[in-house]
Amino acid sequence: MNVTFTLLDWLWVALFLLLMIGSGVLFYRLGKRSESDFFLAGRGLPWWLPASSVYATHTATDTPMWITGVIYQHGMAGIWYTFFSAWAAISSFVSTRIFRRSLAYTQAEWNVVRFTGLGSELLRGWMAGWQFFMNMFVLGWVGIAMGKVCEFLFGWPTWIGLISFSLVCAIYVLAAGYWGVVMADFQQGIIAFLVIMIVSFWGIFVAGGPTGIIDKLAALDMMERINPFAFTGWWSGSFPAAWFVTMLIIAVLGGFGMGTSIDWYVEAQRIQSAKSVRDASYSIWWGTLLGLVRNSVWAVSILAFFVLFPGMTETADYEMGWFRLGFDYLPAGMLGFFFAAILAIHLSTISSHLNLGALYATRDLYQHYVNPKADEKKLVQVGRISTVILLLGSFFYGLMMEDITSWLIFALWIMAAGIWLPNILQVIWWRFNAWGYLSAWIANLGFSWLVVWILPELGVIPELLDYQQFWLLMLLGALVFIPVTYLTKPESMDHLVHYYVMSRPIGWWGPVRREAERRGLITPAGDLAGLAAELSRPDDAKRK
Amino acid sequence: MNQGLATVIGMTIAYAASFLGLILAWRSYKKHHSQEEEKP
Repeated sequence: MNVTFTLLDWLWVALFLLLMIGSGVLFYRLGKRSESDFFLAGRGLPWWLPASSVYATHTATDTPMWITGVIYQHGMAGIWYTFFSAWAAISSFVSTRIFRRSLAYTQAEWNVVRFTGLGSELLRGWMAGWQFFMNMFVLGWVGIAMGKVCEFLFGWPTWIGLISFSLVCAIYVLAAGYWGVVMADFQQGIIAFLVIMIVSFWGIFVAGGPTGIIDKLAALDMMERINPFAFTGWWSGSFPAAWFVTMLIIAVLGGFGMGTSIDWYVEAQRIQSAKSVRDASYSIWWGTLLGLVRNSVWAVSILAFFVLFPGMTETADYEMGWFRLGFDYLPAGMLGFFFAAILAIHLSTISSHLNLGALYATRDLYQHYVNPKADEKKLVQVGRISTVILLLGSFFYGLMMEDITSWLIFALWIMAAGIWLPNILQVIWWRFNAWGYLSAWIANLGFSWLVVWILPELGVIPELLDYQQFWLLMLLGALVFIPVTYLTKPESMDHLVHYYVMSRPIGWWGPVRREAERRGLITPAGDLAGLAAELSRPDDAKRK
Repeated sequence: MNQGLATVIGMTIAYAASFLGLILAWRSYKKHHSQEEEKP
């Protein structure tokens, strides 16, 4: 389809882009003050700013395409794919609080807070390199989704949509760093949420409202599409119940760990930018709640799209369904506003990943390993250079990924499967050490290639379903990291006590807790004692 | 470019980035470790 914009439509788009660039100009002075400002907004944000950033970042251009795909394909049962984000409901009150107390800038840095020695340093370097790539990858992936939307709407070649809007976004990210990201995210979050609601309810209205949708599904003899538990059997088919149970376990237990979801790494930056542990908790909880509300409304609107356009078989056709509801049915003059909202969705994700990838490159690789004596001005400068490298790399990946979406499954999902359990154990089990965690990462590199590509290709094993891949990779990983953990020394007790008193983790920490009690650092009730308690009190309480 | 080749190239870059971080960490650790040992 080719959409024709009026002057009013283009005016909406121009106004929106000016507003975003204005964020960079307005917060330029704050962003350049220090590394902490450029990447964490000085750790002083009230909860609602990182919350809106969590919501805005995880509302990307490809998100409506992905949700449309699973709902159109599986009916309301497809909503469980989006339930992954429920890990945050647990994490808000467990791993979020532990991570905020650690004061680590990144998840890579957290490794040297939790572990010690050479193993912890190797983990930090490894994870920083991986995250630098991963952010570039996500930028390319989201960028090419925007390219496809522009091709669909205006008939532009995909590279135009990929490059042009990312360049606009880079202006305010380069100027103001995380200050620009989070302030733009706040505006983008509001615009995106409002327009998603308007377009979705408009689509539902066009399809005859909830009653009309149900009547049409009945007429199509497809009433099972409104049943969220309409699986294809227990163990087989396109959506077996075993996959549903696996996703629930991943989401719920994953909340106790760090890094069990790809979203965690973005959240980690928002957690550290909040002004207190409580603000960090609220930001993750509320940001995710907004996302779940959005997904629910989206799902119903896709049912509306389904009854309006049933029988599509090509993914490329039906995954644009939600966009079609807007561009086919919104009145003239509103199309530009809708496209501005799509830009909001797009820019919020691009800006976050540009700044986050640069954070790993600057804080973990450059400052920690290359130039530990760099001053604040130099660090901000390196942050900007890293941002440009990420941007250029994302264009390369985006253009490569045009035909290879299977990367997404491999890099995001499978690479997480084998380290899902270690990601939880590192938080809740004192005996788990750096070598165990590092061995899980390295082993998973090999196992994931074998299980997903090589062994099925050679006919050694059949092609496995998603839930089978997950459990097999978890088991194979455990066969490596559990012996490695027990065959290597635990972290030093001094380091563990320091970490325990600072972060107060939950789980199996008995020996460390008893040692901290013996040293008079915590009370038997688990509260901080003596000087530690005095230092942890808020400033106003100390003055009283 | 076919899908398999593109995946291999893309993931190779990912692994290279990770191993680069690993090597940086190793070099930095060894450097600091040897400096500490040299101190009287």
